[in-house]
Amino acid sequence: MNKQSAMNAYIKEIGGWVAGQLEACTRCGLCASACHFYQVTDDPEYAPVWKVSLLGQAYQQRFTFLGRLRQALGLGRPITDEALEKWSKLVFEGCTVCNKCAMVCPMGIQLGPLIHDVRAGLTAAGLVPADLHAATVKQDAIGSPLGVTDDAWQERIDWIAEEWEVDIPKDKKGVDTLVVFSSIEIMKFPENLVAVAKIMAKASESWTVSSKGREVVNFAFFEGDRELTKKFLNRVFGAARELGVKRIMISECGHAYDAFRWTAGNIMEVPKGIEVTHVVRVVYDFWKAGRIRLKKGAYDDGTITFHDSCKIQRRGGHIKEPRELLAWLAPRAFKEMSPAREQSLCCGGGGGVISIKEADALRLAVFGMKVEQMNKIGAQAVCMVCSNCRLQFTEGVAHYKSGIQVRGLTDMVFKAME
Amino acid sequence: MDWTSILHFFRGPFFTFSLLFFAAGMTYRLIRVLLLGWSRDKVPSRGSKAVGVAKSYLKGVIILPFIPWVKRTFRGNAMTYIGGGLFHLALLAVVVFSTPHMMVWKSLLGFGWPTLPFPVTDWLAAVGIVALVILLINRMTHPVLKLITKAPIWINWVIVFLPFVTGYAMTHHLGLRYESLYSLHMMAVDVLLIWIPLGRISHFLFYFFSRTIHGAQAGKRAVNP
Repeated sequence: MNKQSAMNAYIKEIGGWVAGQLEACTRCGLCASACHFYQVTDDPEYAPVWKVSLLGQAYQQRFTFLGRLRQALGLGRPITDEALEKWSKLVFEGCTVCNKCAMVCPMGIQLGPLIHDVRAGLTAAGLVPADLHAATVKQDAIGSPLGVTDDAWQERIDWIAEEWEVDIPKDKKGVDTLVVFSSIEIMKFPENLVAVAKIMAKASESWTVSSKGREVVNFAFFEGDRELTKKFLNRVFGAARELGVKRIMISECGHAYDAFRWTAGNIMEVPKGIEVTHVVRVVYDFWKAGRIRLKKGAYDDGTITFHDSCKIQRRGGHIKEPRELLAWLAPRAFKEMSPAREQSLCCGGGGGVISIKEADALRLAVFGMKVEQMNKIGAQAVCMVCSNCRLQFTEGVAHYKSGIQVRGLTDMVFKAME
Repeated sequence: MDWTSILHFFRGPFFTFSLLFFAAGMTYRLIRVLLLGWSRDKVPSRGSKAVGVAKSYLKGVIILPFIPWVKRTFRGNAMTYIGGGLFHLALLAVVVFSTPHMMVWKSLLGFGWPTLPFPVTDWLAAVGIVALVILLINRMTHPVLKLITKAPIWINWVIVFLPFVTGYAMTHHLGLRYESLYSLHMMAVDVLLIWIPLGRISHFLFYFFSRTIHGAQAGKRAVNP
């Protein structure tokens, strides 16, 4: 049964877009060397081409002439339950869907999205790692993958507003911008909320948070569960519609930005005329338009670098904004890691990997490459625009006993406001 | 049956059959993928897809083969890059820009083009053979390639290698009589033509799918592919 539903789910995913790319693979194996999971383990099973091969197998058996012939003759090897279980570990624990592999593929195959499809099939077969699925179930039932209830959310927002003396409007109708935070920010990085509130106030932007659309993270999107993904997206879109906002601002969260900005429109009806944007873009626009003024050279001590998040930079496109901001805030101190921008190395915590306890050792091993990258340029601080990355950096830096300071760019911008 | 009539068969009727099989097979593969359904991208772009696609091809043609600058990719894959790059260069030079092959194209298409001097294509043919041997050794030793290489990929190698060595042997009169070598070369070419639609050598067609998709994906996000 497992096997069957997984196969069916795969096959449903196969349109020309997927097939054309599966057909293009020459089995050159170059994608392996782009994958940080392969690099730290030297285990060829972490090669992106191998992770995707489950999808390839399903495609061949169902759609190709030779594959069908083999099946008809009884020569086709069916996909076993053991294989599926092994693949579940590979694609959920050993892949952040960062899509760096697509950047080195000579054919340009989008391995990240294809691995997302593999995840979808395994999810349909009920083979999601327990921790990840528990978070998804929590988000479905309670509204937050961290288990923040409605009441706890209200209390936390009130506490942050009071403690830092900021105005955080709740469920305010008719404002321009709906800001959606992640539970990670609410619980672990409240300074992000403070920063956004202060920046919004300074820029005289009318904004609100919503108690209905209060979670930006989408755990169903990590799983590849399309129906549940839509349900979670709809909570926010519904709130946006109800409040009559002009735009939805995604806070520092990568996968959420991918889901709202690049995926929603192709899998569901999205409210017309509501723009989806990311906090780094909004802050950048405020600064460029002179709505906020930033102290030049506010962070010009030592060496600070920027971590490109796979879903906000490589797959999101906001590469220029943080750099221009840093060139202003830290003209001498800012130094690029190598590789950076589109080619950047993922931190290893994305794609839901950070929520899976069993993946901890692997995830931290992968982060070693990031530490190495930062040490190479002598960075004393690193900043980023994704809270999920930031969680991974905070943990990883502590694990490696590196003294590098980990910061959120929005928070830095707020503290540099004049 | 003597070699002359064997040669006649393999460069005559059987070559025609192979060509037709190749054309029909590739058309079938193309149409099948096209008919699987393509949904329209309804998400508003940040940048230009067309620019992304143009950059994607430039990267595919210029940067990846010659400047594999993506960190850590060249290291550990030198054989793949060098072997793969030289093989494709040799393939282009020999199949398209050698005089005898251009004459075949001319007889099929009705027009010809300037070709490279014989010593150049001859050396490049040798380079192609060496590159194939490098790629074979690489495939047998690289841990990732060992894992992902199944029977059809090994068959690909043999089927691509044979036209190269028979062609080279024939131009240098190595071993057998000219007619015999020529016949073997034509046999190998015919088998290759029939095999292409059945396996992954067909990537030259699907290359245009994946590189276009890659460019469009990058372009709409306003990043470099």
